[in-house]
Amino acid sequence: MRTSVRVAIGVAATLAVLGPLGYFWVGSLVPSPYDMSAMGTEDFGGGPAVHSHGGTISVASLTGPTTGKPAVDVTLTARKQGDRYLVNGTSPGPELHAVKGQLVQVTLVNDNINDGITLHWHGVDVPNAEDGVAGLTQNAVKPGQRHVYRFVAQHAGTYWYHSHQVSHEQVRGGLFGALVITDKSEKSGNGAAGSKGGQPGAPRQTAPSGPAGAPAAAATDQVVAVHTYDGRRTINGANGVSTMQAAPGATIRARIINTDAGPIRVWVSGTPFKLLAIDGRDLHDPGDISDKSVLLTAGGRADLQLKAPARIDVGAGVALAIGGAATAANPEPRDTLDPLTYGTPAEIGFDPTHPTRTFDYRIGRRIGFLDGKPGFWWTINGHEFPDVPMFMVRTGDVVRMTIANSSGEVHPMHLHGHHAVVLSRNGAPATGSPWWIDSLDVGDGETYEIAFIADNPGIWADHCHNLKHAADGLVAHLAYAGVSTPYRVGGDSDNHPE
Amino acid sequence: MRATYRALAGLIALGVVVQAALIAAAWFTVLHNADNGSVFDKNTGYNWAQIGHSVVGLMLIPLFSIILLIVSFFVRVPGGVKWALITFGVVVLQILFAIFGFGAPIVGLLHGLNAFAVAGVASVAMRKARLAEQPAPATQPAPIA
Repeated sequence: MRTSVRVAIGVAATLAVLGPLGYFWVGSLVPSPYDMSAMGTEDFGGGPAVHSHGGTISVASLTGPTTGKPAVDVTLTARKQGDRYLVNGTSPGPELHAVKGQLVQVTLVNDNINDGITLHWHGVDVPNAEDGVAGLTQNAVKPGQRHVYRFVAQHAGTYWYHSHQVSHEQVRGGLFGALVITDKSEKSGNGAAGSKGGQPGAPRQTAPSGPAGAPAAAATDQVVAVHTYDGRRTINGANGVSTMQAAPGATIRARIINTDAGPIRVWVSGTPFKLLAIDGRDLHDPGDISDKSVLLTAGGRADLQLKAPARIDVGAGVALAIGGAATAANPEPRDTLDPLTYGTPAEIGFDPTHPTRTFDYRIGRRIGFLDGKPGFWWTINGHEFPDVPMFMVRTGDVVRMTIANSSGEVHPMHLHGHHAVVLSRNGAPATGSPWWIDSLDVGDGETYEIAFIADNPGIWADHCHNLKHAADGLVAHLAYAGVSTPYRVGGDSDNHPE
Repeated sequence: MRATYRALAGLIALGVVVQAALIAAAWFTVLHNADNGSVFDKNTGYNWAQIGHSVVGLMLIPLFSIILLIVSFFVRVPGGVKWALITFGVVVLQILFAIFGFGAPIVGLLHGLNAFAVAGVASVAMRKARLAEQPAPATQPAPIA
């Protein structure tokens, strides 16, 4: 064969190899900066076509009450010390308390965190502008700057706050805290902000759970924030077995918050317990549980009711001993409570059988490029970020969503601004209490059907709360007709929500 | 050019050796950390050896195998294109075994076994290039000094 022919064939073959690679590489590049609300593919879920891009309602206008004196008024100052992120000098940050109906005002101050910070009110269905997602609902708060969040505490329950700017690093490093909203009838909340805090490793479980200055007698309500710092799992910042004072026979409400990246199993020794609430929503008619653990997804909350003395284990040898350390630890139960069949049915307030829109959120994984970087990347409905669906709704729509996971790993799926009710798992219908979630553990091979009412206008992240996964593209959005955002992600904007 | 082909094939084979070393170090690191009371869970970031394994496995070896394939189009090595293609194929297979291993860990066995195939076919490609480099024997005996 002549050399020139050989070379020509070689060049053609080279192009055949490099062409597709280059095509996929270029296609994976994310514009910078970009408009979250304008990206991806609009998905109308079988309902009428509506659009957000070029909409007339700005996210920035969808605020909480701008007037009125807040009943809870707190300043939270975040600073970075080494690899650790502290809020008012501690991690977890101060435990905030509010009573249902109160206006909450939190002023976030950035002391020295160069990446910028925000606060997201995880599980609180706040107005969109208060949601704290950098580049979507606000700009990241840079060092020396402050940002004020104002919202009405509408639903009693257990919540938490955390940064939603470079969140996979900042939450992991400790930029979070608990938020408890109580009904008036409960004595543990008096509307003042608690200032409980402690450096990781400095146990503070013996402190009363009430706000600073409250009498210790109110300590029947205990936040159990689980977080893993550098490979050490902790409860409220303390490794090992913490203790909580309680009189024998006292009824305790333990508010377990999983602030980590993966699911944890929680079990109780020494007494049966009830699962009172999941994700800040009470369960109907909860029965006694023994010999079962509760699976708590990343970002999720579970409120347990139990009688002292008892012991709550959260895995990895980390536990809370209530009413003395004497309660022996049971081994982890083999069975896990299934919320699908726990409790008894009750009215959910809408009819999910005739949805306005039905969306698919299918999670997969493939090899490819993400913004030019080769690797294994998550896909949503077969496409990689940023080519992901934009779930379009109008206010008042009844929405059904099927979340299916065939990606090989578990994903704690978190929808901002809404609570959804679980209808079925792998085709088996929910037969117990209405099971409302804002964070749902979707294991590999599992398919969940959920439903919710679109009743909180804005643009909302709907993402995996293993925050590294979100940073790797496992994030989509729910967008209301006519709403657009003035904020941008990436590039000069310095906003990096995940 | 032939030397480039040979070097790339050699780097791929060497890469497999590095991968084996890294994954062993990765697991001993995990066990050692657990020994010191660390939790290995979804919060655990990759350790240095796991990061190394994914950089070598998802970037370097695929890159070398693609360049090897391209070089093979221009180089005069008997069976050069064929062995570059086979190398590329088993590298792709290796990556598929990795991605399916997350959901079905038993596939990890195939990932481990197929590593030998990657090293083996890359070595064959290397030898093909070396044989092609040697001057044809006996036609022109070297003068005795």
